[in-house]
Amino acid sequence: METRKFIFKRLIEIFIIFFVILTLLFMLFRLSPGDPITRIVDPNMTPEDAEHLIAQLGLNRPIWTQYVYYLKNFMTGNLGISFHYGQPVTSIIWNRLFNTVILFTTAIILSAFAGVFLGKIASWHKGEKTDIWLTLGALVCHTLFLPWVALILIWLFAYKIGGFPLNGMISAEIWTDPSSGYWIKFLDVVHHMVLPLLTLFLIHFGSYLLIMRSSMLDTLREDYILTARAKGLTEKVIRNRHAAPNAALPVVTSVGLSLAFSISGGALTETVFSWPGIGRELVFSVSNNDYPLAQGAFLLIALVVLLSNLLVDVFYAYLDPRIRY
Amino acid sequence: MKEPDRDKKYAARSIFSDRFLENWTVFSENLLGKIGLTLLVIFAVMASASFFTPLIDPMYHPMTGVDPDISYSAGPSIRHWLGTDFIGRDILCQLLAGARIAFMVGISAAFMSIFLGTVIGMIAGYSGKVVDTLLMRLADMIMVMPTLLVVLILSSLFGQLNIWIIVLLIALFRWPGVSRVIRAQTLSLKQRPFIEAAKVAGASHFRIIFRHILPNVLPLSLLYMTFRVTSAIIIEAALAFLGFGDPGTVSWGMMLQWVWKTGHMFQAPYWLLPPGICISLLTLAFYMLGRAMEEVLDPRLRKEVGGE
Repeated sequence: METRKFIFKRLIEIFIIFFVILTLLFMLFRLSPGDPITRIVDPNMTPEDAEHLIAQLGLNRPIWTQYVYYLKNFMTGNLGISFHYGQPVTSIIWNRLFNTVILFTTAIILSAFAGVFLGKIASWHKGEKTDIWLTLGALVCHTLFLPWVALILIWLFAYKIGGFPLNGMISAEIWTDPSSGYWIKFLDVVHHMVLPLLTLFLIHFGSYLLIMRSSMLDTLREDYILTARAKGLTEKVIRNRHAAPNAALPVVTSVGLSLAFSISGGALTETVFSWPGIGRELVFSVSNNDYPLAQGAFLLIALVVLLSNLLVDVFYAYLDPRIRY
Repeated sequence: MKEPDRDKKYAARSIFSDRFLENWTVFSENLLGKIGLTLLVIFAVMASASFFTPLIDPMYHPMTGVDPDISYSAGPSIRHWLGTDFIGRDILCQLLAGARIAFMVGISAAFMSIFLGTVIGMIAGYSGKVVDTLLMRLADMIMVMPTLLVVLILSSLFGQLNIWIIVLLIALFRWPGVSRVIRAQTLSLKQRPFIEAAKVAGASHFRIIFRHILPNVLPLSLLYMTFRVTSAIIIEAALAFLGFGDPGTVSWGMMLQWVWKTGHMFQAPYWLLPPGICISLLTLAFYMLGRAMEEVLDPRLRKEVGGE
């Protein structure tokens, strides 16, 4: 019951924050130089279509009415028409959201598990060679410049050694071929996903490893570990069943805290690998001066970040029974 | 009245220098700190060298200096140690100029965000109640926004952004983390007797915050500064890489954008490798420095590394 109350409270908070973001974006849009109508309405539209769109978005009304229209349109999912695609923004970004979510969640989960696992090993061999190499490797990977890693991976695995596609998410010849089944299509997507996944993995696992290592070192000093030793449990049981689960909790917190940073990294990865996700759509729409699409993509990303933060908190409470909201 | 004041000053100075020496000893025994500092010195030399390259020959100007004989990307030679880019500009010179921009962006953005974060954190922690709640809610809100994407959407609204505007935006979006730490520190400082004493002596809120609390939180702010430098450099580089940097400056991110967009990625490793290595190493250097400073400031960490 308490958890439900907490979620409800947080949802209201998210609603307020999002409302502020919406309002700020509206204000900035009005403050920006240039005519708002030319920014929202594609110059290539027929005059009737343009007229219709202007009326729909309330661009010919006074500014307060425009603000009300803007909020109303957002609530009903009407974010205007993309210049580049000539389609409603909402349908484009919904399509892209799914692609981003698969790439991103897989990357975060994989790197969190690897970070926890390797951090555990590093802390167990504290001060030995294993620890030094793992920590140093994590430090270096953590500070690598993401787009550069992506370019190097493409250069290495798609060009020099070969075997992996340069970019994209699917190969056209497999998906247009009627004889290929679901399994082959799935494998094709996985094949395309390897390099972007590896990029995100390399950037993320390092910080999780470092956090896990220091948290594990703290945990090993706790009394209950001494108790476990006194009971005569094997070192392996102490490490894997008594210390590690508790020590992994700060990693979950850090996943939540670094989410905003990771989302930016996700957008960069998508752009370099032409992965049809929402981050790439944002970057492209900004370079193409496609404001309606840029606005839609940005708002959706903001909403996703806010909601996933809540998700991480709830997950944390589930993992740690001591936490009760 | 004047004499004891002066004595106090001398006493304070000698305590300060003692503490500095002690801290320096701890710092210099730290391997990470030493590596970080060495790397930083190398990059600082690179950055200062960038002022002199155009003086040798105008063709070594990072932005406008085009080799009259080369109008394509050529590999390393005696004339161009790291080769040239797609219109015949020297890559080494661009790399040196990039170091200057990275330092400029990193340090100024970090300084501004630390300034904001420290002041806001102290005010929130000291005043408490409504002000505290409001400021911390604001911090929470900014903290969840991906800075890079926010700057992207702003550049879609306002067009090409000047490098100083980018620095300012990075600073505006990177203070919340610092302010939370400073606020927590201020909350505990507020309960100490010396603040109580200052209040009884009739010090104003302004004086208490800036004369009594600030010196106590300053080391912590400086520690966070090194981490903020890292993130500022990365954000600027990523922005330039995506093509939204200041077109009037040569940054490492922009060099990577050129090599990527002009399709020289596969033919010109001599052009692809240096900027990325430099960004990664410089951020690594600041990160290592930060970690070493953390150990100096937090004796608990020091023991962990030194003993056992």
